[in-house]
Amino acid sequence: MTAHSIGVESRPIERAVTPSLWRRLWDANAPGYLFLIPWLIGFFGLTIGPILSSLFLSFTNFDLLTPPDWVGFANYQRIFTADPKFAQSMRVTLLFVAFSVPLKLAFALCIALLLNRGMRGLPVYRAIFYLPSLLGASVAIAVLWRQLFAGDGVVNDFLALFGIEGPSWISNPRTSLWTLIVLAIWQFGSPMIIFLAGLRQIPQDMYEAASLDGASKWRQFWKISLPLLTPVIFFNAVIQTIEGFKSFTPAFIISGGNGSPVNSTLFYTLYLYQEAFAFFRMGYASALAWILLAIVAFFTAFSFLTSRFWVHYEQ
Amino acid sequence: MHLTVVTDQTPGKIWRKRIFSVAAHIILIGGSILMLYPLLWMLSASLRPENEIFSSSSIFPSSITFDAYVTGWNGLRVHFSTFFINSFIVSTACIAGNLITCSLAAFAFARLEFWGRPFWFAMMLGTLMLPYQVTLIPQYVLFHNLHWINTFLPLIVPKFLAADAFFIFLMVQFFRGIPRELDEAAQMDGCSPWRIYWKVMLPLSVPVLVTAAIFTFIWTWDDFFGPLIYLSDMRTYTVQLGLRSFVDSTAESNWGGLFAMSILTLVPVFVFFLFFQRLLIEGIATTGMKR
Amino acid sequence: MTFRVDRRQFLMGSTALLAAGAMSPAMAQAERMRLIFWGGQARADRTYGVTDLYAKQFGTVIEGDFAAFGDYWPKLATQIAGGNSPDLIQMDYRYIVEYATRNSIAPIDEFVGKELDLSDFAPDQLEGGKVNGKLYGISLGANSAANLLNVAAFEEAGVELPTSATSYADLPAMAEKFNSGNKRPGMKLWSDNSFHEPGLENFLRQRGKALYTADAQLAFDVEDAVAWFQLWADLRAAGVTVSPEDQALDANDAIESTMITLGKAASTYAHSNQLVGFQAANKDPLTLINYPRVAAGSGGGHYRKPSMFFSIGATSPIKADVAKFINFFIGNAEAGAILGVERGIPCDASTREAIAPGLDAQSQAALSYVSNLGDLLGPLPPPPPSAAGEISNPLLRTKSQEVSFGQLTPEQGGQQFYDEAAAILARAKG
Repeated sequence: MTAHSIGVESRPIERAVTPSLWRRLWDANAPGYLFLIPWLIGFFGLTIGPILSSLFLSFTNFDLLTPPDWVGFANYQRIFTADPKFAQSMRVTLLFVAFSVPLKLAFALCIALLLNRGMRGLPVYRAIFYLPSLLGASVAIAVLWRQLFAGDGVVNDFLALFGIEGPSWISNPRTSLWTLIVLAIWQFGSPMIIFLAGLRQIPQDMYEAASLDGASKWRQFWKISLPLLTPVIFFNAVIQTIEGFKSFTPAFIISGGNGSPVNSTLFYTLYLYQEAFAFFRMGYASALAWILLAIVAFFTAFSFLTSRFWVHYEQ
Repeated sequence: MHLTVVTDQTPGKIWRKRIFSVAAHIILIGGSILMLYPLLWMLSASLRPENEIFSSSSIFPSSITFDAYVTGWNGLRVHFSTFFINSFIVSTACIAGNLITCSLAAFAFARLEFWGRPFWFAMMLGTLMLPYQVTLIPQYVLFHNLHWINTFLPLIVPKFLAADAFFIFLMVQFFRGIPRELDEAAQMDGCSPWRIYWKVMLPLSVPVLVTAAIFTFIWTWDDFFGPLIYLSDMRTYTVQLGLRSFVDSTAESNWGGLFAMSILTLVPVFVFFLFFQRLLIEGIATTGMKR
Repeated sequence: MTFRVDRRQFLMGSTALLAAGAMSPAMAQAERMRLIFWGGQARADRTYGVTDLYAKQFGTVIEGDFAAFGDYWPKLATQIAGGNSPDLIQMDYRYIVEYATRNSIAPIDEFVGKELDLSDFAPDQLEGGKVNGKLYGISLGANSAANLLNVAAFEEAGVELPTSATSYADLPAMAEKFNSGNKRPGMKLWSDNSFHEPGLENFLRQRGKALYTADAQLAFDVEDAVAWFQLWADLRAAGVTVSPEDQALDANDAIESTMITLGKAASTYAHSNQLVGFQAANKDPLTLINYPRVAAGSGGGHYRKPSMFFSIGATSPIKADVAKFINFFIGNAEAGAILGVERGIPCDASTREAIAPGLDAQSQAALSYVSNLGDLLGPLPPPPPSAAGEISNPLLRTKSQEVSFGQLTPEQGGQQFYDEAAAILARAKG
């Protein structure tokens, strides 16, 4: 981050007059806050109210239909001492994040690098590789995923060619989570596009200069592409982790919304959703949500702390 | 995008290049099949008799019928075209909102110094982290008090108030990748922050702006839960709500209509993507030259 | 909000609505009424047919809004919690206690005999809409739990269809015959219904027990739960049912993922009013039969369940008008013809008689099934207590899967199901 402040820097003449403290505060802060006005209005007008309400509700019993009752820390106490489903859903979610996020990012980066080369037919490839992300997690995908990963599904037909007899991947408690991880990886389109945009933003003359110096493609990747891409890699890692923790729709649609089979796909937000809307315990669900917030915030803060060691910003 | 490689092209290098290119195409084509399979499957599901959709695992229908497209388009009380128009209105408005307000906020976070900046940035990121399920009801109460229920406003207005922290963060990261010398030079010339934002930052940020436009369009187009909660008059339904209206898994449903209309709703997003990704590429080319 | 008004006028699809609204007689009639229900396109078509008819006759425009079952409940809860309750609410047997005890739906008693004529209404269906002695829902149709049978698969295998006398003990022999004659790869005789609450309830009732008492306690013992899981463990071992992996494909009781639709079993659980929906997604002809008996001659497991209700939103300012519309919906012959038996068998005797001749084959089958349960029919149980949903799904489903995948023995499964169900009921009571 720079120490230059636009407001002060651009008015060197005024220093002679020694403006008042307020004047200087205004000059130093006004531009930033002016640019932030729409966001501030949205934050205070639309966002913060519901967020604080949910924090309040996490200390209550709230059945959606009658006014909430204050219960202090009872919800949190139950979550940490008497709720095996909390532990199970946390385990499922951590596994999901740990595998889907790195693999998805690796795929996205590799394909983006491939698609960034000068090759024929690239727009078509780019569109095709983005296609799975267009499909989202719809009812159609749920039906399709079952046809792919059931015992007599396409995947097992393929494996049978090699003499392997696979399980019914999607409905076996040991493998069902992996079909959702595969789905998440398969929908790598968004980080891919962001990587592509990042690669595109790297000035071409840097490569030209490097190849004049005789640097190999490989060296150019390590010395130019990768460092200049770190802000984007960082962004994708942070965002995908947050989204991974909040992942809801695939499990909701594909595994029927109840974590079947045997809670093996009971994602954290799925459990939270059940508590809120199926079991009428919005207070409890709010407490779950704030615990998730704390965990995600911890991971995010941690990545921001480490970012100064590997993320390269323009100086 | 051709790199001007100024080395002599020995035969060995040409061969290596060719082999690489062939290998790359093989990978890409193989991958494409994996990516296209679901689309082909959906297409086949939309063309086959409805009572075959679930029992048959073959991708080829036994007979082809376009009935589903007819019953899908006309079957609901409101024509599917209405849902398309509604989705276009919402998506277009959301793109405008996100591009304008998120870039303003991102510029502040990326380039301006002000008191409390890290705090606001953390707050901004924090809004990404709370699962929407628990803020849904308070938000509904808020919009209900504003008399916005059953209009597009709950879907659109937040975008004009930069409520989508994802895009702010995205733009911040890209703005920080733009060389500071450029805006410092502009600053020396006496440019105001507004002019730096408008004349320096935005022109250099076409890739990320296009990316944001693409994502906003697709995500708004695909959004289901927001419209489900805030829209109840069928004439205000978006395409995703329309799609879900065909099917209830506990009762008689129009599955053919669902798959047929799913195919049709993919067309606009796909075309949008094809068109704008071109912009994304061209946009960068000019960036490179300006440097 | 000019935007909205303009759009509405611009997009007013069915001009009949507008015209009817304009022509309405200048009586103290509500002009608009908000209705919310769950269903797919077929149910929406029928429902809107009736609302159009009503608008034409009485001038009240009914703004209908619907969603699939799974999406419906968060939408409804959000509207009510947000102070924007619809006037007329489609309600499920499972949730009526929940909404009634929390005063989100209003008692209807004051309208009975005035706006609402229930003189021809089936008494057991009327009883089913009562919570703590007050009437909170008008049943829109009676149905009963049933097993669907794939007639073609049975014929091909040379196995006679199960009859109303078939017991669970008959299934292994039937399965042996089916498995040897079956020409369809991977198809078993029966789906594994050990996770299915209506199946368990039917089993308990045949044993003289029930799921819940009227004061929200468990009305069965650990031994009953163990016997239930043991019954299915034996059927699995005898090759009667599909594999646990196949059964788990059916993760949310959706028609499109049941074993019969996927072609993995020749029989699956369902409700009688779903026959039409199942048939639409299945190529082979289907029919329906009662759940097997636990022993020869044991009966009383089935009951005629209100498939769904209409309830009146507690905050509705036009409750009398809503009651009048409900009356039209259940009692008008023309409306009845439009609705058919899609929501279940009409509870009003005159409506039932009026529509019977015009029904298609599947609807006829459902009607005759529900009307001819004979000794299988038992009394209506009290509406399930408010935590019943959590016990049915996920608890019963999870425990049954743990048993079928071999993670628990039937004894452990039964014991855990009983203990955890009791804990859930206790928690709900606070």
